Amino acid sequence: MSIEQLELNPRIIKAVNNANIGVARDILKFSGPDLQRLTRLSASDVHHLQTAVAALFCKKTPVSALQLYRGECPEWDCGLRVSLGCPVLDGVLRGGLLPWGLTELAGPSGAGKSQLAMQLCLSVQYPVQYGGLGSGALYICTEDSFPIRRLKQLQNEQPSLRSDVPPDVVSSICFSDNIYVEHAADLGALMACVSQRVPVLLAQGRVRLLVVDSVAALFRSEFQADQGLERSRHLTAFATALHKLSASYQLPILCVNQVTDVMEGDSNHDAGPVDSKVVPALGMAWANQVMVRLMVTRLPGAVSMGTQSSARRRLEVVFAPHLARDSCLFGVWREGTRGCSNSILVLY
Amino acid sequence: MKPVSASPLSPSVKVKLLNAGFLTSEELLQLKPLQLSKEGGLSLEEALEVQQILREGVDLPGEGGAGLGSTALELLQQEERSIVTFCSSLDAALGGGVPVGKTTELCGTPGMGKTQLCLQLCIDVQIPECFGGLGGEAVFVDTEGSLVAQRVADMAQAAVQHCCLQDQDAEQRDALKDFTTESLLGHLYLMRCHDYVELLAQVQLLPDFLVKNPKVRLLVIDSLAFPFRRHFEDLSVRTRLLSGLAQQLIRMASQHRVAVVWTNQMTSQLRGGQWELVPALGESWGHSATQRLLLHWSGGRRLASVFKSPSQSESSVAYSVTREGFRDAGPLASSPSGREQDSSSQSESRQVSSSQSGSKRPRTQEGQ
Repeated sequence: MSIEQLELNPRIIKAVNNANIGVARDILKFSGPDLQRLTRLSASDVHHLQTAVAALFCKKTPVSALQLYRGECPEWDCGLRVSLGCPVLDGVLRGGLLPWGLTELAGPSGAGKSQLAMQLCLSVQYPVQYGGLGSGALYICTEDSFPIRRLKQLQNEQPSLRSDVPPDVVSSICFSDNIYVEHAADLGALMACVSQRVPVLLAQGRVRLLVVDSVAALFRSEFQADQGLERSRHLTAFATALHKLSASYQLPILCVNQVTDVMEGDSNHDAGPVDSKVVPALGMAWANQVMVRLMVTRLPGAVSMGTQSSARRRLEVVFAPHLARDSCLFGVWREGTRGCSNSILVLY
Repeated sequence: MKPVSASPLSPSVKVKLLNAGFLTSEELLQLKPLQLSKEGGLSLEEALEVQQILREGVDLPGEGGAGLGSTALELLQQEERSIVTFCSSLDAALGGGVPVGKTTELCGTPGMGKTQLCLQLCIDVQIPECFGGLGGEAVFVDTEGSLVAQRVADMAQAAVQHCCLQDQDAEQRDALKDFTTESLLGHLYLMRCHDYVELLAQVQLLPDFLVKNPKVRLLVIDSLAFPFRRHFEDLSVRTRLLSGLAQQLIRMASQHRVAVVWTNQMTSQLRGGQWELVPALGESWGHSATQRLLLHWSGGRRLASVFKSPSQSESSVAYSVTREGFRDAGPLASSPSGREQDSSSQSESRQVSSSQSGSKRPRTQEGQ
């Protein structure tokens, strides 16, 4: 944005041009007295100038929380949630995943992270009244190859998982056509993917969910222990790219993360009353970028439902701006991931 | 008698006028424009502009009151009430709550309750005056996207219920008619900034907004650190921008009589061969806020520590975050094994914990 396009007295614009201030946004980086000195304008002229430039970057007028609560601001929080496809799990998350920002799902291997992520890729495709966003999903794999067989199975079992949805609605959705899978084998490929390929796909408007499975793998393998600063710089750049995508396309992002052992007597990892001996990987640099942190763990014992049985697992809210610390037990079944309600027998 | 040096004229014009021997703006206004341009060595256009500016007596934000001193007594009388936090021990540690006219920084790792405390303050600042509140309004600048309408509504509802449960006189009953969840949400203004340029722009526009909405007594920026902790190749630019921003915020706090509260993240720093957590944004930033509050875990309890304050001694108090909002730490949460929300599961335990937090209604009215 150049300064000529501002609605200002030509005299002010001339003074700014003479001062060699390149683009309009640079005006915001100077204090009033600095601008007076650079442009030789009077204080009131500088104030006009600053206000005009600031208005350029704040086009939206302030809204009240009441408007937000009534869903009058579709570009912000309009009360929509992406259902996980199970009322018990949705109950812990008060309806499901927030449809914006970064949600992290951390847990040890075999806890059911990818299972939950895949289920979310399916449930986001349902129409809004059934807890979806009526749109496809993009799945970026960095660890393993995408478990396509399991996805096929989940897709075929959707009618039994989603008994709340009329069968003709379920059968009308062509699930696997709306899941785009990307593989990123190294950090460069991952960055190229989120900064170049993903925006192209999102611009077409067919995707309203991004899953990165997992963030930890590449960042943990490509840096040595003494490269902490370098790693956190890359992590921040990666998270910034994700936040940008999330803001420009109203895109919820689910990042799967690994866990790391808590060192004895390490006061920095005092994460409060968490009894587990593991914390999500990637440290504070990553944690600061995350809005909602969920953890899944595998517990001893088993749960059974009908003829099926599954390892006992727990989904836990570690932090979220709108959720209390809460948790529920769940199992991974043939038709998908389901929380434990009364119909499920818990065996120890 | 306003000196020329303190007038809002451009620096080059000021120098010319001072060199020509003009000392006060009254002298400049007595002359005809033509005379002024001759004597001051200005062009006629400049001379006209000088007189126009001085006649308007333009009172720019930041320039107002220049040269006017106030006595310590006046300042003491101006000292305004504070915004209660609904956690009585934290209120006590802060000397009554978050002070209006000053700046407060909240630091803490993710999940400590920084956003929760901010939202609680946005609700509490609106408590009617007859209940010991300020009857004000609040502005919330969201840079992280962490404002969820559902959560604000929960807290507003709990605050309304809390006030309804107090013993009431006629005036309070009257005030309660307008103290509803709708009005609480309706007087909380929200702004969303996606990067630091948008935040700088928003802060530039805020003084005008505060003039238009004179009842605003609280400005929250959650979080200030987030947009400034990425893509800065040159950290000296960041430091310069931040110090400018801090000045603007401090000025807003004192001129518009608002409490300015912002949140900061924590970062690991190597000190003496050991990694430790310190507030982000660098050492010099630490001086920006009037007071700093650190939220952290300690042995299974949430603690809030006042670690920079000109008026309060350093202290740590326990608090908890419940479904109702930011509250005193209950007996449950204060035992090392206790948890605010029992994680071992489900609806039954949820009911138990919510009834417990309901029974320990916090004391909020300091003045009553």
